[in-house]
Parts: sequence; structure tokens; C-alpha cells
Amino acid sequence: MASLITCPHCGVRPKEEFTIRGDASLVRPAPSASDEAWHDYVYVRANPRGRTVEHWHHVAGCRRFLVVERDTVTHEVYSVVDGATAAREAQR
Amino acid sequence: MVRDYNNRHALDQKLRGTPKPAHVDHLEVGHWQAIATVLAHAGLDAAVQRALSSTPDLSLRYCGPGEWLVVSQVDTPVGLMRRLDMLCGTQAHVIDQSDGRVLLRLSGPSARQILAKGIGVDLHPAAFALGGSTNVLCGHIAINLSRTGEDIFELIVSRSFAESLFEDLMTMGRPFDLSAAFSE
Repeated sequence: MASLITCPHCGVRPKEEFTIRGDASLVRPAPSASDEAWHDYVYVRANPRGRTVEHWHHVAGCRRFLVVERDTVTHEVYSVVDGATAAREAQR
Repeated sequence: MVRDYNNRHALDQKLRGTPKPAHVDHLEVGHWQAIATVLAHAGLDAAVQRALSSTPDLSLRYCGPGEWLVVSQVDTPVGLMRRLDMLCGTQAHVIDQSDGRVLLRLSGPSARQILAKGIGVDLHPAAFALGGSTNVLCGHIAINLSRTGEDIFELIVSRSFAESLFEDLMTMGRPFDLSAAFSE
């Protein structure tokens, strides 16, 4: 696993300071969406090999949610963005 | 039934007896200083920071975006709350942490070597500048670390973790003959 994460607020930190809170690429369905769509959103997860986008929570540091793009094979970290910034960009 | 409330320091049990003389590397446990958390309202980070840093005898410790620990060596906890309310009353949430946190001051030429055993942050003078502060993990305990002097580091920890952190620090400092005492 990627062992060093560059937090946008705290700098380079070991992974022990973080908790992984799951896939960040999921999009919440509309409240009126079908049961299947909600079932997929809540329960069904891929176990990808390669590039993944995840929510990481910097529990022992700034306590912010970060969006980390990393590779599950090579352990390379491509980008770390604050969750609020990522959400704002997604809305555009 | 009426009971007397005895205000005891979290490390009273650990530092009982007559204080021993301080060695070169020394851990000083702050005795009743005023600490408060300041959390700026959304979008007012810069304004709150400006208001807080305009006062010279308040020491600001960075926790995260818009969040600081404010330490004062001259105020009482009530006095600090009153001052902070006046400084940033409508711009931030202010919470008294004087009894909720414990301040430990580690000083001496080996301070960096002692801390490096538990902290995964570069402590080199060039990387961790004077006056810098940040939340880090020390062993398994989340603390706020700040550099207040050339070889002086201050650790602020939750009260309930203070004993555990104190024991860890004394173990980490054993090869360097680390001593500990309450501050005057």
C-alpha cells in the first residue's frame, strides 16, 4: 500500500495517520432512483487492480477528508486533493 | 450530598514526590495553563487568523484549515475565553480546553532524536521551522506538536492520553537520561 501521503494541509505523512473510507468515484443516485441503483450504490464494490480513487480521512492530522488517487499494483500515489475542493470541482 | 471537588492534574500520580533536578534533556509538564480551541466559521479562516495573530502573548497552534489551539501563559482559562470571545466572537467557535488538554515541553539537545522514535515528520530545523506547529501521531496517540524554541518542542495531548504519552516519552528518552517535572 502507498506508505507516504502528501496531505494538502499537513505535508508528507505516513499512512498510519489515515483511515481509508472507501471508493470516491461513486455517484449518489437520485432519491427516486430504482432499488437496484441504490443497492449497487450502497453494497456493490469493485476490487480494482490498478488506478483507484478513494476517500482517505486524515484522522491523526487535520481531520479532513481527502481524495487520494493511487495505484493498487505499483503503490504509486498520483494525486491528493481536499474532499471539499474535489466536490466543488465535480459540481462545475 | 455535597462533595468537595478536587482539581487534580492528569499527571499528578506520575510526578509525585519531591522534584528532582532537571537534566540536559528535560520534559516539563505545564501546570494549569490556558488552552482553547478556535474553529473559524466557514469562509472566515483568514479573518480569524488575522485577529488571533494580532495579539502577541497568544500562541497559535495549527490543527487544520480554520482550526487552531490557542495557548496562553499569562491568562487564566476564564480570562483567555473572555479575550477570545472579544477577538473573534461572531467569527468562530471558541471552546475552553484548559482541563481537557495537557501541555508537555520537551527541551534539550537530543529532543529531536527522542521525538523521532515516535513521530513520522521531518524534525530537521530547516524542515520544521521555529514557530511551526501541526497535528501528528506520536506512537499511537494523536498530538499537536509545535516548535517553540531552537531545541524546544511543545506537545499538547488529550487529558485521557496524557499518562500513556508521558510513559512513552520517558521510554523514548531513557537512553538520553530524560528527566521530568512540573513547571514552576
